[in-house]
Amino acid sequence: MLKSLKFQDFRKKTADAIDNRVRIITAGLGLNELRAVMRGDPPTEKPNPRYKVHTTSFLFHIRPRYYEKGSTIFAHTFRLGFFTSFFFFVELFTGLILMIYYTPDPALAYNSILDLLSNVPYGQVLRDLHRLGAEGMVIFTVLHMLRTFLTGSYKKDRSFTWLTGVALLGITLFLSFSGYLLPWDQLSYWAVTIGTSMADAAPLFGTQANLLLRGAPDIGAGGLLRFYLIHVVLFPLLAILVISVHYYKVSREHGISLPAKIDEGNPPLEVKKEAKQRIDYIPDLLSHEVFLTALGLLLLTAMVTIFNYHAPLEHVANPQVTPLDTKAPWYFWWLQGMLKVDPASIIEHLFARVGIKVELSALLNSKQIMGIVLPTILVGVLVGVPYIDRNPYRSLFKRPVAVGFGLLFSLTIIMLSYMGLPQYGIQTPAATRILQDLAPEEGVGPLREVPFDQLRVGVYEVSNTIPKNLCPEMKGGCPDLTRVFAEFSQQVNFAATNPHLAPYQRLPKAKAVLLIEDWQKDLRKITMRIVWDDVTSGQSKTYEHRVFLHREHGAE
Amino acid sequence: MSRMQLEISLGILMVLATGTILIYQGLREQDRMAFFEQEQRAQAIEVGADLFDINCKGCHGPQGEGTPGLCPPLNDKYFFTNRLKDVGWSGSLEDYIVATVSGGRLVSTRPDQYPGNVRPAMPAWSDRYGGPLREDQIRYIAAFVLNWESTAPDRQQAPVLAGPPVGTDITQKLPAGDAAKGQTLATSLGCVGCHVAGNTGPAWIPSAEQPGIGQRATTRFTQSDYTGKATSAEQYLLESIVDPAVYKVPGFDTVLMPATFGQTMTAQDAADLIAYLLTLK
Repeated sequence: MLKSLKFQDFRKKTADAIDNRVRIITAGLGLNELRAVMRGDPPTEKPNPRYKVHTTSFLFHIRPRYYEKGSTIFAHTFRLGFFTSFFFFVELFTGLILMIYYTPDPALAYNSILDLLSNVPYGQVLRDLHRLGAEGMVIFTVLHMLRTFLTGSYKKDRSFTWLTGVALLGITLFLSFSGYLLPWDQLSYWAVTIGTSMADAAPLFGTQANLLLRGAPDIGAGGLLRFYLIHVVLFPLLAILVISVHYYKVSREHGISLPAKIDEGNPPLEVKKEAKQRIDYIPDLLSHEVFLTALGLLLLTAMVTIFNYHAPLEHVANPQVTPLDTKAPWYFWWLQGMLKVDPASIIEHLFARVGIKVELSALLNSKQIMGIVLPTILVGVLVGVPYIDRNPYRSLFKRPVAVGFGLLFSLTIIMLSYMGLPQYGIQTPAATRILQDLAPEEGVGPLREVPFDQLRVGVYEVSNTIPKNLCPEMKGGCPDLTRVFAEFSQQVNFAATNPHLAPYQRLPKAKAVLLIEDWQKDLRKITMRIVWDDVTSGQSKTYEHRVFLHREHGAE
Repeated sequence: MSRMQLEISLGILMVLATGTILIYQGLREQDRMAFFEQEQRAQAIEVGADLFDINCKGCHGPQGEGTPGLCPPLNDKYFFTNRLKDVGWSGSLEDYIVATVSGGRLVSTRPDQYPGNVRPAMPAWSDRYGGPLREDQIRYIAAFVLNWESTAPDRQQAPVLAGPPVGTDITQKLPAGDAAKGQTLATSLGCVGCHVAGNTGPAWIPSAEQPGIGQRATTRFTQSDYTGKATSAEQYLLESIVDPAVYKVPGFDTVLMPATFGQTMTAQDAADLIAYLLTLK
C-alpha cells in the first residue's frame, strides 16, 4: 500500500492528471506541447497534435491548419480580407452595446443618440467606432476585391469563393446603408430617401419594392422599424452565414492563392519549395492574427480619440424640409452620378452629329436604364467575372485585357462618384449657392466658425472695396468675421460683374448686406440678404438667409 | 528575436497603448458629456429662435413683447415669476410652455386683457392636435422662450408713450407722418399678427385681387353702406385704427380688432402709420 504511494509515482500521476485536463481544455495540446508552442519549438509528438485541435474544437475547425508560406507574403494579400472581418467583429461588438441605448421610433431615435452622447460614458467612442468600422468595412471589402481581381485569384477552384465575395460586397453595402437611417437626423433621413427612391425606378415591382422597404410612401415609423430590423437581424445573420462559407472555402479548401509568379511559369525549384512550406496556424498564424487585431484596435481607438474622427449628427429629421446639397452615402454616389446621365439625349446627340434625327426619350426611360438596368448588368458582370474571363493565366502581364477592363471599371466608378456630388450638374442659383456655402443649412460652414465675440452687432453693406478689418475699435479686431464678409463680398461682386457667366450664376446690379443683431442673451441673429435684377425678367429679386448663433453652440 | 516574438511584444505594447488611450479618454468623459449637453442646449435655443421667428412672432412679437390688447408678452418678468402661480400650474415652466404651445388655448385666461383670436384664443401647434409642429420642435421653442428669463423686463406697467395718446377723435389734426417709420411700426405694434393674407404678405399691400389699402381708403368712406364719420382717406384710416367697431367692411362681420389702440399709440405713431398705408396704392 505504502509502496504504491511512492513520491515519484504520485508526482507522475498528478502530472498525468494535469496533462489530461490541459488536453481537454486545449482540445489536444499537452503541457509539453503547449510549452513548445509558446517557445516556438517544433511539435513534440507525432502525429502533430497542433492539427488535432482543428478536428476536435468547433472554433478551430473553421480555422486553417496552415497556409503556404508564399501565400502569406504581405505584399500579396495586404491582410485586406483579415481586416474586413476584423471590422465586422468590431461592428458586432459595438453594435450590440449600442442596441442597449437605442429605440427605433421616430419620436425617440434622435433623442436616444443625444442621450448616448450626453449621458453614456464612452458613448461617443462607441458610436464613432461603429461608424468608423462601417466605413472601414466597406473600404476594405472593395480593396480586398480589387486585390483578388488583380492577382487573378478568382480563377479555377476559387470561382465560387469569388461569387460569395460579390454577395458579401452587396451585404456589406446594405448593412452600412440600413444603419444609415437609424440616427434619424436630416443627413440619414434624406440620404435614405434618395437611396430607396432608386428602387422606385424598377419596372413592374418598383413601387411595391419601395413601399415594402419604407413601410409607407414616405419613411416614417414603419420604415425606421424595418430598417432597424434589417440592420440588426437580417443582414448580420446573412453576413455571418456568407462570411462562414467564404472563409471556410479559403481556410479549409483551397487556401490563399500563391502569388502568380510562383504559381505559374517555372520558378527555381528551391523558390517553389520555400513558397510551399507550411506556416502552421498554431502558433504562427494565430499570433499574427492577434498582432493584427491589436494593431487594428489601436488604430481605431486612436482615430476616434486622438485624431478626432466623429460620426456626423445633423439636426433631427424633418420630412418637410429637404436640405440643400442632399446626397446619398459616399459608396452610392456612383449610382447617383449614373442617374444624372440621360442615355437617350446622348444617343440623340451622337446621331445628330452624323445628320440623323431620332427621338428616343419616349422609348428609353433614363431613370429605369441608369438606376436599374445598368446596375443590374454591373452586378451581373461582377458575378460573372470568373466565367467571362477564360484566360488561364493569373499574372498581371499575361492578361492585359482583363486588367485593362478592371482598371477602366474602377476609373468609371470613381468618375461616376464624382458626378454624383451635388456640385456636379445641378444648377443652384448664384444667391442660394453663395449663402449656402457661407452658412450651410446643415453642418458648420465658415460663418458658424466665427467666434461669438467677433460677431459685432451692425449692418455691413457689400461694396467694391473689401474692408481689411470690419471692427477696428475692437481689441484684436474680428479677423474671422472680416474673412467671412470678404468671401461674401467677393462672391457677390464676381457674380455681379461677370456678364459671361451662365444666367443662373449671374447677379446683375447686386446689392448685398450682412446684418448682425443682438437677439437674446448669448444669442445673435445674422441675416444675409442679396437683392439683384433677374437676368431674364429684369425684375428685382431678393434672397435671404437667416442664422441664429448662440455663444456656446460649438462646432457640432 | 523571431518574427513571432517581435509580433507578440509589439502586440502587448499596442494593447497597453490602447488601454492607456481609453483610460485617458475615460477621465475626460464627464467633461465631454457636460460640454455636449451645453452645446445641445445652445443649439436648441438657435433652432427655437428660428421656429419662433417663423411661427410665433406674428402675435407675440419678434422679441416676445406681445401685442397690446391681443397677445400676452412672453419676454416679461411676470411670465417668469408669477404666471404659474396665477394659473395654478404645478409642473415646471418648460412644461407649461410646451403644454400651451402644443394644445393652444380654447379660451383666453385673461379675456379682458389678451383675448387673442377669440376662439380659439391661441391655435394648437402640435401635430398631434392638428398643428404644424412636432413635439421636439415645441421643446426647442420652449428653450428659446426660457432663455429670456434673466433679461426679461417688467412690462406690467402700461408702456410709456413718447407723447399723449392719440385718442379716438378722428377729426383732430395729426402731425406730418413718415412712411418709413410707419412701415416699422406696422410690425412692432403687432398689426401683422392678424392682418395677414396667406403667403403674399400683409393684407394691406396691393395684390392680384384688390388694390392696396391706400387706394381702398380713398373710396371706402364714399360708399353708400359706409356707417362711419370719416370724410377723408386719412380720417378713414385713423378711424379704423382707433375706433374699429364703427364700420364693418363687408365679409368681416365680427370686430376682432382691439379698441385700445387710441390709448397705446401717440398721434405721431398714428400719423406715421397712416402715411405708410397711404403709399400702398
